[in-house]
Amino acid sequence: MIAKTKYIANTRNLLEILPTVDIGEPEDIFIAMENARCPKAELSIKEGDHVKLYQLIGMRYGPFFNQPIHSTVSGTFVGFEKHLHRSGKLVNFAHIKNDFKDEEDKTVTFERTDEEIAKLTREEIMEIARDRASAGLGGSSFPTYIKFDTKGRKINTILINGIECEPYITADKRMMVEHAETVINGIKLMQQAFGTKDARLCVKKKYKDIIDIYNTFLSEMPDSGITVCPVGNYYPQGWEIAMIKSATGIDVPSGHLPSEYGIINFNVSTVAGLYDSVKYNRPVIERYVSVTGDGIKHPGNFSIRNGTPMRYILEKCGGYTHPEKKKVFILGGPMMGASLPSDDCICTKTVTSIIVLNHDEIKEENCIRCGSCVLSCPVHLKPVQIMNAVKAMDKEMIKALEPLKCIECGLCAYSCTSKIQVTDYVRRAKVIAKL
Amino acid sequence: MDNIEFIKESAPHLRRKDSLVAMLLDVVIALAPVLIFAFIAWPLGALKNVLISVAVMELAELIFVLLTHPMPVDLQKHSLIERFKYGISSYRPSNFLAALVSALIFALILPASTSWYALMIGAAAGITLGKLLFGGTGNNLFNPAAVGMVFAKVCFGGTMYYTAPFAGVTEVTVSPTYLAGGDYGILDLFIGNVPGTLGETCKIAILLGLAYLLIKRVADWKVVVSYLGTFVLLTLAGGLTVTLPRGGFIPTYGEWVLSHLLAGGFLFGAVYMVTDPVTMPITTPSRVMYGMSAAIAAFFIRHFAALPEGVGYGILIANCLAPLFDYPKWSSEVWKKKDIIICVALPLAAIAIVIWTVFAGGFGL
Repeated sequence: MIAKTKYIANTRNLLEILPTVDIGEPEDIFIAMENARCPKAELSIKEGDHVKLYQLIGMRYGPFFNQPIHSTVSGTFVGFEKHLHRSGKLVNFAHIKNDFKDEEDKTVTFERTDEEIAKLTREEIMEIARDRASAGLGGSSFPTYIKFDTKGRKINTILINGIECEPYITADKRMMVEHAETVINGIKLMQQAFGTKDARLCVKKKYKDIIDIYNTFLSEMPDSGITVCPVGNYYPQGWEIAMIKSATGIDVPSGHLPSEYGIINFNVSTVAGLYDSVKYNRPVIERYVSVTGDGIKHPGNFSIRNGTPMRYILEKCGGYTHPEKKKVFILGGPMMGASLPSDDCICTKTVTSIIVLNHDEIKEENCIRCGSCVLSCPVHLKPVQIMNAVKAMDKEMIKALEPLKCIECGLCAYSCTSKIQVTDYVRRAKVIAKL
Repeated sequence: MDNIEFIKESAPHLRRKDSLVAMLLDVVIALAPVLIFAFIAWPLGALKNVLISVAVMELAELIFVLLTHPMPVDLQKHSLIERFKYGISSYRPSNFLAALVSALIFALILPASTSWYALMIGAAAGITLGKLLFGGTGNNLFNPAAVGMVFAKVCFGGTMYYTAPFAGVTEVTVSPTYLAGGDYGILDLFIGNVPGTLGETCKIAILLGLAYLLIKRVADWKVVVSYLGTFVLLTLAGGLTVTLPRGGFIPTYGEWVLSHLLAGGFLFGAVYMVTDPVTMPITTPSRVMYGMSAAIAAFFIRHFAALPEGVGYGILIANCLAPLFDYPKWSSEVWKKKDIIICVALPLAAIAIVIWTVFAGGFGL
């Protein structure tokens, strides 16, 4: 078939609307000692120490910034254990035994009144975001406070990304339905921080219920400046460049920052989490995670404590279907998420979804140059020619084909008639082009 | 928890519901109406053409698979049967179907009178020179059916003659088609009541196939449109140069244009041969240019050259040009100014040449 792919078909017949389920608290919580951006960490507590909920227990150090580590549970710190991190690396985790009391560290948390919040300046909000370790909850884990520093550029429009364009994931959607007020308060906080009125909440057109909920809330505050901006249902609509194009009509060229065009964008979970941090002066300890896939018995959306082991979550979902079949264990969406070699993994705050698929043996055929990958590529690359250049090890040609523009959305491999893993070749080309 | 085996694979983890086998099957289905017409019109000729070309091309493909998948050297003695079994394990349904599509098209673009040795040699040359030497399915530069047809016609053209359908072999028409001076009505050309090759005469069957290919999106509509559009423009211009200077309208302008579009293998080539994705460029602008160049070459050969028919040659010429249009550093999926200029200039230049011949007192008059 020679056709452009715009929608990812639900070929596995999965539920598109999942209930939100509380799965209780696990006995053990694991807190990562390193992540993709901060490879080193130091703890300020010793083995056997009692820790409280929200307590600052250490710092992660990275080349560009440091990140405070907070406890997401109250209990006893019993030592280190090695588990898989979301990135697929085997990483040291601090093991905290839960005492199920959720005893808060009162020295840290306090509640700010609405008047107090209204008086906060951008620097103060930035400081709270840094001290409470607020990070991009859409999966990037990019520290939020750095985004507040726009290097003097004037921000005209704030875009809130509630699109969630990857198939099967509905965690943000549930969060937006259940915590609409927090989301709106968060957006107001962003307006206050950036001194602009124009804030747009981008949602897929097909989510009529969300659009209705927010329009009802917003009709009560006519001069808030917040609007709901329905965008297309396409994949990859949630990619920031595509979202900015749909919401504002501005085309941000690759290699430029949206803030150069007066735009800043945040994930909707980040905004809600930041409001929570500002209101109660506490870090984000919970998030919504979609657990789904044809390899899971009871899929659902779960409100999960950061640091919960995946095995605990999967047990609560009833375990796996068809234990004789091989499984693919994916963190993140099925189009871009990484698959892990084992389910011995910890759910950190940037895990948006857990997807377990039954593995299908795919037989690659010869490329018949149908051109579906070229038609589908959202950045107008020519994946098949990049693949041929990689096979020929033609470095000059690889560079001329600009593989570094690739956003790894996976559409080239998804749309391939011959089932070739084209995205992998483009990834290899990116490595070669950087040499 | 149960012991589950996890596979580590790179993203994306989903695939479109679509496959090469399905795409090739769709082409075979699209060829069915033409095949049915051929079997009704020339039962014996069609049976002979199809059987011989399918057998030869499938055999060549099988030998190719066996040769390209030799048993690895392990210093052990293996019998021929073992070696055959090892090689045959790499033979896939797509191998069979790709050769079948080439063979059917090859069978349909030759007349019923083609001798068995011309068919065998043409089919073998077509698949070997056109496809297998380049590395098999997906790697070929030329349309294997077109290569085979040209080879057969160049070597054995003298023994081929075109017979009218539903007539058996008794009624022999030596002049190939309308193009070489035959006189047939537009309706006869449309329903296929004219002498010609097996597949090219019945336009209704071909249009059915086109509709199926476009609905299933197996054929890229941009190539079909650019090929048909350029050819129509050129016949409109060519009609002026032929019918106007004569003063009278015999045949009339409309008749001349329509019969040019309906005669010969033009429509068959536009539906089943230009649309072969393997031999066309990849990006949209270069596909449009490809369609244009195939149409221009076909029309020029028909209009100016001594040959009556130019569709097959036109497609082979465009196949040669495809890598040029597709050179990775030049082509782009986004329409650039340069692409638009070429796509406007190519047909305009061709039309200018056609019209210029009137004033130059040259061809076509």
